[in-house]
Amino acid sequence: MTDPRCESVGDAIPDFAAGRLDAARGAAVQSHLDVCGECRAEAELVGLLYAARPELPADLVQSIEGGMRFRRRAATRPWWGIAAAAVAAVALGIGVSSRSNPVMEDVPAYVAEMQGLSPWVSDDALIAGAPVLDDLSEEALQILLDEMGAGGPGGAA
Amino acid sequence: MSDGELVRRAREGDEAAFSGLVREHGESVFRTALSMVSDPDVAQDVAQETFLKAYRALPGFRGDAAFRTWILTIAANEARGVLRRSGRRKEMDIDAGPPIPSEEASPEDGAVMADEAVRARRVLERLPEKQRLSIQLRVDQGLSFREIGEIIGSSEGAARVNYFHGIRRLREMME
Repeated sequence: MTDPRCESVGDAIPDFAAGRLDAARGAAVQSHLDVCGECRAEAELVGLLYAARPELPADLVQSIEGGMRFRRRAATRPWWGIAAAAVAAVALGIGVSSRSNPVMEDVPAYVAEMQGLSPWVSDDALIAGAPVLDDLSEEALQILLDEMGAGGPGGAA
Repeated sequence: MSDGELVRRAREGDEAAFSGLVREHGESVFRTALSMVSDPDVAQDVAQETFLKAYRALPGFRGDAAFRTWILTIAANEARGVLRRSGRRKEMDIDAGPPIPSEEASPEDGAVMADEAVRARRVLERLPEKQRLSIQLRVDQGLSFREIGEIIGSSEGAARVNYFHGIRRLREMME
């Protein structure tokens, strides 16, 4: 860069390449690039970088907000709730994965609360049912634990 | 609604206002995290953790810095923590990796340009963290060198030097 304008143009090149400059400033940068090979080469490189910015996940905002809700709930659940969720996740997972035709005649309280939620379908007994448990209230979770202790459905744990 | 107003409302417990901040800055946080951890799934986790930490720390946010600078600083720290915990430092010897080949010039200029653009991003990943982050924040997100300095923990002048050294090194590696 030998031209004294190179420094100020160099600062502006990222905004020029990204189309963030107003028309007048953009024209001033362009006129300098027309006569300065060094700055032109730099602008071409910066333009390449900007053009190949990584794509954003389509559901980025929803993903962030969903993840925050999940982590906030996990952080506020008492210790016995976390332990219960872990135990019950295993128990439910075994129940879900071992039954090809679930029997729904006798519906305990926690199952009633689960209705309307969307359980994960998984062959992995360790994770099946976990999202459902996450949406259960503490009361329903306690009922589920009580029933498991009494030999209720899924009480294999 | 301005960031300041959203922050004020969010501090009073308005969750919709905080969602507004997520919508406004989610992309920047994700891009900053991605430039450091290089994995989109991990970058999403970092973004979630970043906003969660910001949500919890919001009562103590005095507004001396812009919210954008504040949240991107949290994101950069969070990404560093992830790299440290995973034992995977992103830093690498920029001359150690295999050369990234350049495409031969051909009449299909558009395709060649696209290939060169992808190659430029791959070469960018080889730069030291501060240079890489300075370039990413300046080019992709249009941050000023003062803002970049706050995020990478250096002065405005040092941020500028990191940016231009990185660009110069990138040009050499692309040739």
